[in-house]
Amino acid sequence: MLSDSEAAELLSFLTPDTRPDVKGHTTGYILGMSGHRDGCRFLRSKSDLLVALFALTSDPSIAIVKDCYHIFINLSADETLHQVLLADVKVLPVLLKRVLDPEYLFSDQICTILSNLTRHVKTCKTVFQVLQEEVGLAQLVEIFCTEGYNKKANFNYLSPLLSNLTQLPEARNYIMDKDRCVIQRLLPFTQYQASAVRRGGVIGTLRNCCFDHAHHEWLLSDAVDILPFLLLPLAGPEELTEEENEGLPVDLQYLPEDKKREEDPDIRKMLLETLLLLTATGAGRNTLKEKNVYYIMREFHRWEKDVHVTAACEKLVEVLIGDEPEQGMENLLEVEIPEDVEVKLKEADIKEQQELEKEQERMRQEEKEEEEKKKRDAEGEDKEQESGLIR
Amino acid sequence: MASSEAQHDSDDGMDEFMDKFKTQRYQKGFSENNWEEEFNKVPMFMKTAPEEIDPHTYPELACLQAIIHDEDRPPEEQAKTLKDEGNEFFKEKKYEKAILSYTAGLKKKCGDEDLNSVLLTNRAAAHFHLGNMRSALNDAAAAKKIKPDHLKALIRGAQSCIELRNFAEAIQWCDEGLKVHPTDKKLQELRAAADKHKRAAERDARKNKIKEKKLHGEKEALLAAIKDRGIKLLQSAKPRRRCSDSEDEGSSAALSPLSLDGLSSQEVTGAQVFLDEQRSLHWPVLFLYPEHRQTDFISAFCENNCFMDHLAVMFGEELPPWDEDRKYHSQNLQLYFEDEEKETFYQVNPEMSLLKVLQHKRFFVKAGTPSFIVLVKGSSFRKQFLTEKKIQGLNFPLKNT
Repeated sequence: MLSDSEAAELLSFLTPDTRPDVKGHTTGYILGMSGHRDGCRFLRSKSDLLVALFALTSDPSIAIVKDCYHIFINLSADETLHQVLLADVKVLPVLLKRVLDPEYLFSDQICTILSNLTRHVKTCKTVFQVLQEEVGLAQLVEIFCTEGYNKKANFNYLSPLLSNLTQLPEARNYIMDKDRCVIQRLLPFTQYQASAVRRGGVIGTLRNCCFDHAHHEWLLSDAVDILPFLLLPLAGPEELTEEENEGLPVDLQYLPEDKKREEDPDIRKMLLETLLLLTATGAGRNTLKEKNVYYIMREFHRWEKDVHVTAACEKLVEVLIGDEPEQGMENLLEVEIPEDVEVKLKEADIKEQQELEKEQERMRQEEKEEEEKKKRDAEGEDKEQESGLIR
Repeated sequence: MASSEAQHDSDDGMDEFMDKFKTQRYQKGFSENNWEEEFNKVPMFMKTAPEEIDPHTYPELACLQAIIHDEDRPPEEQAKTLKDEGNEFFKEKKYEKAILSYTAGLKKKCGDEDLNSVLLTNRAAAHFHLGNMRSALNDAAAAKKIKPDHLKALIRGAQSCIELRNFAEAIQWCDEGLKVHPTDKKLQELRAAADKHKRAAERDARKNKIKEKKLHGEKEALLAAIKDRGIKLLQSAKPRRRCSDSEDEGSSAALSPLSLDGLSSQEVTGAQVFLDEQRSLHWPVLFLYPEHRQTDFISAFCENNCFMDHLAVMFGEELPPWDEDRKYHSQNLQLYFEDEEKETFYQVNPEMSLLKVLQHKRFFVKAGTPSFIVLVKGSSFRKQFLTEKKIQGLNFPLKNT
């Protein structure tokens, strides 16, 4: 890496008065450095460089500001940098203030940085604290839900930010506040076609919220009505009978023939996991059974090709069609598992994972062989035509 | 008249006035008959105010009114008084009057924006209770414009939107309101209700679309089945032509472009040809008995059945009451259909299936209902009826079907 004197030289080029082209070269060079791990680790030790770079986000040249933001996006992706960024460079208050400005040009970059900073619990806690002090989560949700708040930014990365924040019970409590209308405003975004990032983040948020089974009844009630929003991305255009239709939640009835399912398998898996969480309580299981969730899952299972997602679907279906557990064990999340059973279950899980991987690998192999066979056949035909052989 | 000694203690002649009654009776007193009525005319003791205050009949009231609505008072005061007046009317459910008061208050254009916002919101409420949802919404919007955080205006606006079935807008109003009043229960309640209605309306739209499509598909299948069989539909002679009016009715093969207009039955029963599960057509069919000016209507004659199947039942054991001569026995009947264009009658073999007859090249189904004329073999009516008419047998090879 660079020597101390080289680093000092770089620092001298990062002052506001430096010639723009020199500044530009320097930021460009550092951007390259931030692109790989060693470069990041090196920069971690040079907080004065980072402070100078952060100051340059106010530079009059847009190109330089852009470079600087990209540097910080790269840095924030590395967890070991978080402490420095928060404590030494003190990025948070400034970034949070800026993101509120409807005219700010780099709000999306800020959202990405914030999203990165909240991935791991420790920094997430700090970010949440500062967030509440400076701007309040309410404001961020407002911006997220307001279309066209900022003409130059789409705020899609606020979605994973929210999802990350809901690792914390405080954040979940705010989102699921019964006296307010917060989670209800997020629900429609489970179908947001324009951005997988936004969809995924919202669904991640909902999944995290569903870990709190005390809220399940409220979530499934008319006050929130979370169920249709989880099912719609999984429902397809297949025609159901009138009887089957009438038993479904209103939003899932009579879907048109051009209805498409969620195209990202990870998101599909998250949806199924969320639904599975909702089956933890007896009341939740009843609701899902009553609302004919089974029919949606039946059609989904026929359509799904990804092995991992299919496995998640099967787990859900098992609960939907299985018998009720014996008394005392109705809340599946609260059942006490004896240690030896727990060990066995973990082993079974690992084995299942391995089998799934093998299955996936096998399918990939088959596909490959199919392709090669096709190629060979095609070549074979060509050769035959050349030699004039007619069968 | 006896005059009393004038007392000169007072300047206003009050004492004199009072002394008069020592000797005279007060004429204008209330009598036992009219005292309630009279009391009701005195402003202080009125139970209800008259609807209109005519200064001649009620001078005291007119006076009071003038004092209350004194034009010299500052506009804010006047507006406030009008607001209170409107509120009173509102309480009595006299919504039109309330609206008049509020409107008058707004006309004062007093600078107090809070007051104006309240006037608008209250007027919105009055309109709402009268069912004038548009006006209610407009007033609520105006109130919101002046005072964006006015809770009652926000609630009223959302409610009006819901009544107008504009659910998306209702939700917008609620979200706007919840920004300023995040914990307001009424707004949350309205939002949930509007959302529910919106989603139900979307479901209904989807359901209708699918139904329409299905119906359309069925119609297409029906028309295709008819066309495949080579059956010709005649458009009913109703003025629904888009092309030139110079076309004569029934001239040059006025076939309907294969549309459903040709199938709408003019029968009040509304029966229509349909395709059954075995893909056979069932037609509504008319039998005409010109001799007695009678008709029989068969709502679903399966194309594979023959005429005799029906005639044997209709003219089997019991003959119809109009058959005075008791001669309409099934084996004596002859069937014909008319080719109007060529003015020819074609005789139909009753053992033939309906389908075969409909496929005849001169058979045109009119108004979606094939019709057949029934005459009795050898009867004088038949002879008369068919005189001077062109008759033809059907050119079908005789097969045993």
